[in-house]
Amino acid sequence: MTQDNHSGRPQGRPPEGDGRVSRVEASLRGPFLLFFVSAVVWLLAASVLGVIAALDLGSLQGGVFRDCPWFTPGRVAAAQQGLFVYGWGFNAFFALNLWLLSQLGRFEFRNGWLAQLGGVAWNLALTYGVVRVFAGELSGFRLLDFPREVGPVLAVAFLLAGFWPIVAFARRPTGHTFASQWFVVGASFAFPLFYLLAQLLVLWQPASGVVQAIAHSWFVANLLQLWFGASALAAIYYFLPKVLERTLTGYYLAPVAFWTFFLFAGWTGPAALVGSPVPLWLQSTGVVAAAMMLIPVIIIAINVHGTLFTQGGWTRAWNDTTLRFVSFGAAAFTLAGLLGGVFAFRAPSALVRFTSFGAGLEQLLVYGCATMVLFGASYFVLPRLTGALWPSAKLVHVHFWATALGFVGALVAWLVGGWQTGQLLADPAVAYADVLRAESSWFFMLTISAVLLLVGHVAFALNAFGMILKSSAPAASGRHD
Amino acid sequence: MNDRNRHSDSNRPRRGPSGSEGPSDGRLVEVHAQLSRDKDEPAEGFSLTPIFIVFLFCGFGFWAGVYLTKNAGGFSASAFDLDAPKAVVGGGPVVFEPDVAKGEQLFLANCAACHQATGLGVPGAFPPLAKSAWVAGAEDRLIKAILAGLAGEIEVNGVKYNGNMPNIGAGLKDAQIAHIATYVRQAWGNTGEPVMDTKVAEVRKAIGNRAQYVPADLLKEHPLETK
Amino acid sequence: MKNLNTLLAGVFLAVALPFGALVLSGQSQLGGLGRAAGEEGGALFPSREPGQAVQGRAVYVSLGCVSCHTQQVRPAGQGSDIARGFGVRPSVARDYALQPQVLLGERRLGPDLANYGARSSKINVETLLTDPASSGAAWHPSYRFVDAAQRAALVAYLKSLRQDYPSPEAKLKK
Repeated sequence: MTQDNHSGRPQGRPPEGDGRVSRVEASLRGPFLLFFVSAVVWLLAASVLGVIAALDLGSLQGGVFRDCPWFTPGRVAAAQQGLFVYGWGFNAFFALNLWLLSQLGRFEFRNGWLAQLGGVAWNLALTYGVVRVFAGELSGFRLLDFPREVGPVLAVAFLLAGFWPIVAFARRPTGHTFASQWFVVGASFAFPLFYLLAQLLVLWQPASGVVQAIAHSWFVANLLQLWFGASALAAIYYFLPKVLERTLTGYYLAPVAFWTFFLFAGWTGPAALVGSPVPLWLQSTGVVAAAMMLIPVIIIAINVHGTLFTQGGWTRAWNDTTLRFVSFGAAAFTLAGLLGGVFAFRAPSALVRFTSFGAGLEQLLVYGCATMVLFGASYFVLPRLTGALWPSAKLVHVHFWATALGFVGALVAWLVGGWQTGQLLADPAVAYADVLRAESSWFFMLTISAVLLLVGHVAFALNAFGMILKSSAPAASGRHD
Repeated sequence: MNDRNRHSDSNRPRRGPSGSEGPSDGRLVEVHAQLSRDKDEPAEGFSLTPIFIVFLFCGFGFWAGVYLTKNAGGFSASAFDLDAPKAVVGGGPVVFEPDVAKGEQLFLANCAACHQATGLGVPGAFPPLAKSAWVAGAEDRLIKAILAGLAGEIEVNGVKYNGNMPNIGAGLKDAQIAHIATYVRQAWGNTGEPVMDTKVAEVRKAIGNRAQYVPADLLKEHPLETK
Repeated sequence: MKNLNTLLAGVFLAVALPFGALVLSGQSQLGGLGRAAGEEGGALFPSREPGQAVQGRAVYVSLGCVSCHTQQVRPAGQGSDIARGFGVRPSVARDYALQPQVLLGERRLGPDLANYGARSSKINVETLLTDPASSGAAWHPSYRFVDAAQRAALVAYLKSLRQDYPSPEAKLKK
């Protein structure tokens, strides 16, 4: 543990000589890089599949992958979601959450090999699962699509790879805690619970009838909010004050935000089942919970946007690579919360039900918020861990603009296209073929967006891998560029 | 209060596209912990937010209660649709129509072993239902016989039987008994009024779970109507 | 907030309470659903699915059909499912009571299939997989790699999807 815990620890430019990377960070390097590199590899694979999925949709009846058993639209969609969520989303947050809580708790990671073991097991199980999905052995439940034997392996791997932030929190030297720590501890503790329960009731001992759908909706809400949402919030709460060098506005409200976020999020699942054959009280409970989520969303907006809107926060955020991504993510979180609350209600929900709107809302949280925050965090953390520079500023710009434009384009297609499709669907006078024709006009935009995202991710990967290779080439010494 | 966290770290050399550096993490935690502790101290311009949050909470809580009361379908397992007429748990059409065809099926399954499909019974053993004054007239008598059964001497159409009819109806639903009773009162030349399921429910509630009737007692409650 | 145990207990409740209240009480309310007659003395529904349909469901799941087809008919006030002829009445929980795997679906790129076995369709499923253009649904992906036995099973499964009977929770309009 370094002695200079108030301000002296070299963070930006390491001084000459030894100890340029703090001991806390040096102890993290192995596991962090393993998680990070696998995350980026999965991200690239998922982006390629995203392009294939978009092409599949855009030319359902023809196209390159016509009649190819591995690339039916259903299988590609399942594999793409699986890789993006469990490959990129989990590996990247393993890395970031571990780094974050080690920093905040000044935790020196002595059992890195255990985390690496977990990471390897996680990635092997994931590879196996995706291959089986391509081979046609998917479960039919979105985000639980891997064959059921993958579930327990992922759960054990999570305990090895993803539980260390809790250890870091438990061993922190000071009594004080910070919002980021609560959110990460919550996310890391909640995931194995709801993942195993969902595995049990959906795949291993399926509940009877539509209870499967209820359990599945509960799982999806938990996964999106309590893993992606909470982990992303932890990073937002950390990087804003850290980079802007000021305290969060209304920070004393943060505990309320944390508890209301966790206590309401798990109830929102059945809001996705409005109109479905599940009892009315379940649907209405989901609607109420989704609306109650506005409380944490508003408080978090006070904390986050309050900070960004004072003293030229946005301008500074815009001029800082990390904050540019992170504040994009913060805005996406607020938007996702507001839209989620409004579109849970019966009438608007009925209108957009079964359209691409739901996918748009979900991506707003998983990509717009969590992924963009992860990108921003990478720009902050990697130079400190590797002691190297990002090789190309140009690639950073390509990364931001390609992902931001690609995502906004896809979001418009999902939300506006979904709204439009919903209105056509609601009118029985419009033939189904015409509905489909109107919807398919958005597929072109989705394809362009998927390509843009791929370009952005390749730029990010080139930059990151170049940096990691450069830093590891001359071993531990001579890291001065 | 936003700027108390600025310190010398900020003018360190910057590096990389994201070179800006903030406060150390220990300081970040402590300053924010201080902020949390300070919340009770009155600070001008800041007192509105907690009140706003409290109101927000109360408002949401109140609304949630109202919404759930109105939109939860009584927390019933069989309410799926807000606009649908209230469904009945456990079956039974909302509007009951006694159905002779269903009554016949149920009769064949439950009664015909003794009373025979012809309704004529078995001479010397089981009394007939066809043209029997027992099944015509007051529906209570017939319903009670089906629900609780009969045991003892019984005279039907001038012939005496030693009756021992089990409480067949106890295992049947109200609507099924109504179908059977309607069938019995309208088949084989009988001309009774149909029986509604609500009437059966009423009688079932009135007699509860009782033993078989002695025919003479039943006649005291509901004497045979003489034409 | 400083105490790890408080934090973990709170998070545990945040997972366990909704699980108990939504999933477990859902199971206790709906777990006992079985076949029932929608009208007194009527036949019991839902029907048990034939063996070939069980195989067909596996094909349906394996091809990923659920990513574009739903199997649920919403009540008249929501959407136009009944007006479009997807079903004759809203779906209710009992309709799915005998299904080992419930594939309600979340996305409707193709038509709903909840009542497919009972409704008339211009589209010929037999050729839909091999030659969508000639089957009347040119936009449907083609699956020529699906062999004849799997195709037959899939068709049997689709034919077994019916919600055209009265249910105690959903009457048919006369």
